[in-house]
Amino acid sequence: MSTAADKVAATGNGTTSLYHNKAAQWLLYLAVFAVLALMPLLVENAFTLNQLARYTCFAILAMSVSLVWGYGGILSLGQGIAFGLAAYGMGMTMQMQYQHPEYDPIPSFMLTNELESLPLMWAPFWSTTTGLILTLSVPTVFFAVFGAMMFQARVAGVFVAIMTLAMLAAWYSMAYDMQPFTAGFNGISPPLPFSIGGFELDPYGAPAYLVCVGFLAVLTCLAKLLMQSRFGVIVQAIRDDAERARFLGYNVASYQIALFAISGFIAACAGLCWVMIVQYVSPTSLELTLSIAMVIWAAVGGRLSLLGAIMGAFLVNGMQSYLGDELQQLWMLFLGAIFIGVVLLLPRGLAGLMELILDRLAGLRGRSQDQASGQKEAAE
Amino acid sequence: MSMLELTGVTKTFSDFVAVDNFDLTVEKGELRCLLGPNGAGKSTSIDLITGRLKLTSGTVKLDGQVISGLSEHSIARLGVGRKFQVPAVFKELSVEDNLLVAATKVKSPFSNMFTFSPRIGSRQARFEQVVDLIGLKDRMRVQAGILSHGETQWLEIGMVLMDDPRVMLMDEPTAGMTEQETHKTSELFNNLKGDHTLIVVEHDMSFVREIADIITVMHMGTNLVEGTIAEIETDPRVTEVYLGTEGIGDA
Repeated sequence: MSTAADKVAATGNGTTSLYHNKAAQWLLYLAVFAVLALMPLLVENAFTLNQLARYTCFAILAMSVSLVWGYGGILSLGQGIAFGLAAYGMGMTMQMQYQHPEYDPIPSFMLTNELESLPLMWAPFWSTTTGLILTLSVPTVFFAVFGAMMFQARVAGVFVAIMTLAMLAAWYSMAYDMQPFTAGFNGISPPLPFSIGGFELDPYGAPAYLVCVGFLAVLTCLAKLLMQSRFGVIVQAIRDDAERARFLGYNVASYQIALFAISGFIAACAGLCWVMIVQYVSPTSLELTLSIAMVIWAAVGGRLSLLGAIMGAFLVNGMQSYLGDELQQLWMLFLGAIFIGVVLLLPRGLAGLMELILDRLAGLRGRSQDQASGQKEAAE
Repeated sequence: MSMLELTGVTKTFSDFVAVDNFDLTVEKGELRCLLGPNGAGKSTSIDLITGRLKLTSGTVKLDGQVISGLSEHSIARLGVGRKFQVPAVFKELSVEDNLLVAATKVKSPFSNMFTFSPRIGSRQARFEQVVDLIGLKDRMRVQAGILSHGETQWLEIGMVLMDDPRVMLMDEPTAGMTEQETHKTSELFNNLKGDHTLIVVEHDMSFVREIADIITVMHMGTNLVEGTIAEIETDPRVTEVYLGTEGIGDA
């Protein structure tokens, strides 16, 4: 009966390896965010800084996928819904900052679409504060309602992926077709950068970049705290066996709805930052490929680790920027190959690899071997 | 007043009657064994009591309160705990976290977002007591997925105990256990009865002999015979149900 698992227990007090040491984890998280925050000192080139800000937005998205999929077991292919809705909200807010209530009350694309007055949907965006509140709250509320529909009906597994995918496609068509309201395929390009409190955030400047990093750092730390709370443990329990949790008295749907809405809020923050950085929004933010790419970033980095997913986003997008130029269309093939490789060889992504290495360094055998010996033992 | 009372419980799946007008009364502190050949409706009855399946007709009362028709989590919160036939634990979590999830009395997601302590306050004493009882004390940091089959069974029993339900429904708790482990389980169950009300579905007759006061034999979804082990073993109707074997003793 003596297995590697006994050795795990023998090291005592839960200090199994550095990977599982909570203090070490927090230190690493803070170090990564500190490095990101210091980048403007190292990077002189405004284009590169803007590129980094974009990756930071993608990192926020990958982190939201890790939360909902890695921890919650909910494979959402619709994270782009929250991202896209928030992107439009931010785009509308920025567009209305440019408009003048008396001299120029209607965005020009509406005039070419023969609208004579500002649509009701746009009116609240005259106020930047209201605009920002709507930008973040509408996607969150939508995710809560959509989540309630799915999880109270006990939709699970691959069916969640299909439903979220279908919903994403519906929003995409809507953004595309509502030309007078969204400028359709062309998208909205606010003429001026986002300004708040009289301060203009130049998309290529350090302050805008730091806002993105700030969002990433704060959201990740909050998400990590949340996963360390009792809520986080229960959410993972539900991922492992929803039925078991239900018969221990947990309302499984309420946990899933809460987690789904939180992940929607995080993806919405990414949408807000994104439009601030690119000063443009179009239906591409609601495209299928983007939402699937988020899942790939999280999988490559390791969906069971928030930081892993963040690293995955930086890594894959960094590679795309440099290799994508070289390989052109071949890049997609390359990305697909990476994804398949990760799924087959590293189901826990790069973070899982790190875990394996640190566990071995700590003189323990890897988890996969433990499982194998555990199964053998069970069979005997 | 009886702890659990089933009256005329019926469950049909289109044309098939799985449980047919089943009556069962279990007193407080009693340990009741549920026997019967495959397809007799034992597991279906447990699903009906716990709310996993909805009754076609009839009522289930817990301590006088009608619980049939409530959701699974509401029934669980009122004090009905169950162990699954195929042991169900949270495989990716540590043994400790498995027990912690079971021991948490606060079930609302929002209050649990602000709970960080791995301790459970006033219930800590019970927590340690259960850990001792199931003998997994030095396996607490181990991932539940790598436990042996017997240990997994014990963990799930521990989770049910941790929740401290008024009625415990145990679906084949000794399946896959060694003789020694089975014996330990029977000792545990004998300790539990009196304070807790238990319903145990079992096939292992030696185990049933060790624990049972009264046995209910189910057949074709209904209550065939009820009585002590001696009465059951000599009852001709029971022998007939288990036809093809030499009576229930060897089942």
